[in-house]
Amino acid sequence: MDISNIEKRLLNARLTSKLSIVLFGLVLVLGARAQGAPSGGGSHGGGAGGMMGGIGLPLNFLQADKDYKFPDDINKYTANDFLMLVRRTDIRSSFYNSDMSATISMVNVSPDRGTFVIKQQIFRRDKDDALLMIITEPESRKGQGMLRVDNNMWRYDPTSRKFTHTTLKETYENSTVTNNDFRRWQRSIDYSVEKISTGTLGNYKVIIGELKANNDEVPFPYIKMYIEADRKIVLKVEEYSLSMKLLRTAYYTQYVQIGDSFVPTVQIFQDGLIPEKRSQVTYTDISTKPLPDYYFTKEYLERVSQ
Amino acid sequence: MRLIHLKLAARNVRRQPHRTIALGGAVAFSALVMTLISGFVNGMDSAIQDNVTLYAGGHVLVSGYTASWSGRLQNRFADEAVVDIVRNAYPDIRTVSPISQARATVVFGSREVQLTLRGIDWAKDQLYHDSLILSKGDWNGVASSRSMLMSAQTASRFGLSIGDQVMVRLTTASGQENITDYKVAGIYDDSAAGGMNSAFVSFVDLSADLNMKSNEQQEIGVFLRNSTDAEKAAQIITKALAAKGYTVSRGAMPNASAGNTADINAGTGLESAGSGQSAADSGPGYAGLSPRSHQLAPGTVVYRISTVQELAGEIGSALGSIRWIGYAIFILMLIVSATGISNSYRMVLLERTKEIGMLRCIGYKRRDVFSSFIAEGILLAGGAALVGVVLALPLGFGIGLVPFNPHGDFGAALVQGHLRFAPSLGQILLVLAFVTIVAIAAVFLPARKAAEIVPVEALRKTA
Repeated sequence: MDISNIEKRLLNARLTSKLSIVLFGLVLVLGARAQGAPSGGGSHGGGAGGMMGGIGLPLNFLQADKDYKFPDDINKYTANDFLMLVRRTDIRSSFYNSDMSATISMVNVSPDRGTFVIKQQIFRRDKDDALLMIITEPESRKGQGMLRVDNNMWRYDPTSRKFTHTTLKETYENSTVTNNDFRRWQRSIDYSVEKISTGTLGNYKVIIGELKANNDEVPFPYIKMYIEADRKIVLKVEEYSLSMKLLRTAYYTQYVQIGDSFVPTVQIFQDGLIPEKRSQVTYTDISTKPLPDYYFTKEYLERVSQ
Repeated sequence: MRLIHLKLAARNVRRQPHRTIALGGAVAFSALVMTLISGFVNGMDSAIQDNVTLYAGGHVLVSGYTASWSGRLQNRFADEAVVDIVRNAYPDIRTVSPISQARATVVFGSREVQLTLRGIDWAKDQLYHDSLILSKGDWNGVASSRSMLMSAQTASRFGLSIGDQVMVRLTTASGQENITDYKVAGIYDDSAAGGMNSAFVSFVDLSADLNMKSNEQQEIGVFLRNSTDAEKAAQIITKALAAKGYTVSRGAMPNASAGNTADINAGTGLESAGSGQSAADSGPGYAGLSPRSHQLAPGTVVYRISTVQELAGEIGSALGSIRWIGYAIFILMLIVSATGISNSYRMVLLERTKEIGMLRCIGYKRRDVFSSFIAEGILLAGGAALVGVVLALPLGFGIGLVPFNPHGDFGAALVQGHLRFAPSLGQILLVLAFVTIVAIAAVFLPARKAAEIVPVEALRKTA
């Protein structure tokens, strides 16, 4: 056997081995994609897409907020300043650079139904305006879930194994909470500022903005927002009907800072017509770890509800 | 069968009046019961349909959906020509009137209840005055502005009385939350509502609450003179609208019974930058249009024609049960009658053995003997059944005058607290036909035995 033949064989073996490694890598990548897992390279399912990739967001929604300079004196706020302040609260209460998961405890008080508690797990991908919620307590409701993806929303009942279409404005479990309350905030998109004033709420100096819906398909035609100027967080929101009657008051009593986000971890919703009817929503165990894409599918909700 | 057979049969029927009365009485009673059952089942059927129709808004409903700026289909339309087309499409229409409706939450004090709020044009819809029983209040008060006609059950639950103010929370035609006030001006007996919790207000008031223009409406309710024509009328109305170039489809809208006033999604799949409530968030797809598949231009109107039968599927199945119970009793009565007739003619055969022998001796053939027996059975059973049916009519209408508790189990099947007796000619003929056929079947065996009697043997045995 001459040397040239040996070299040829060695070359062939090297090429074959390299080709095998490439093919093996390709198989791994395709396999990972097929399972909906991150394909590597630092591009996680939740955080990918960059700042402008948000579904349903107007152009420059996130970018314009970055460089906006707010007045130092709250008495100098203009309508545009206030709208940008609302936008800041929208962005900071949401997670556009990562996914979010948390445990939600919801305590509901109603004159008709008494007090009842529901615990659930929530998974959110604010960039895509997607969310998945699964009830963990009480035992009788365990496995029931809600999925929002591609601008559609469904409830899932594991007993009947059926998905039923629901909407953002529908109340959650006959409480004062609506499905929309679990979603990312985007009041600065839906409303324009009509009037602003200043005041105090407890010990906090607040800017009070009266906002009107930009179109007739936004559920609450008028809202009044109380925003603490220093920390730029929403403390209270009053929602009004078309006839200008108070429908509901939301209090955001506690915030937790996670990265750039300020998450309202304790939210109290009080009915405007029946003040005794109220709900408290508490977020705990908040995580911003990336979530697999398959979390936001009907198949996963069906599987995890079993 | 010849005339001689009938004459012989008639003579035999007259010959033993006691037995004829006993046997005929039994058959007549069976026919009477059958007629009463079929008449009352029919009446309950029509009463339930009428009650459901009243709460649904009509036998045929024409709903209009207009595409909004976002492509969302809103349950509203403004086209007077549609009303005229519907009115002229089918001749046997009782009333055509505009309807608005909403799934609303009524709040009184710290209590709330969800119900269907229906806007009625009190001046046009006389049917409601005729059909609903007011337990409190009067129609003049109900027809006045911002007044509500509430069900007795809701009023009792809330402790409401005439003059009380309630708050109503509803969603406008475009999907916005609204709160309005109403005064309770009337309380109606809702025992016939079949579990549907409805309150009635003025069409104008509810349209304003739904933020609709004065020329807009959500549905056109068509009440027919004959409820059985609903499907036929719906088809004709669909064709008439389509012929004029309107986009029309058939069948009940998903969630239509829930009073979903807006929020039928055109399936645009587009989420406007200006709206946090995406178009697809608004509700189920319309007419099979899947989300993201179609985009309707703003202002485009589509119509959907549905019938009360499509809306009242569950009540229809309850009616089916009542019908089957009626059929079971009907069959039971037929079996009892058949047994009675068959036994009687076995006795007749024994009594008339000698007579049959003599008839055979003077030239009667087997066929003649058989035919005379069958003719006697038909005469007796048919005559008795006719008497039973005739007696059932005054009795049925008399029972219809007896007042029943409208809050009982059959409340939904009553008309103003009374059972409705509504036998049809077809049902009466069916009762007569069935009794006659059963009589022939019951007499068949004794008649064949009679025909097989050997004349000499018969005379020898009975000598």
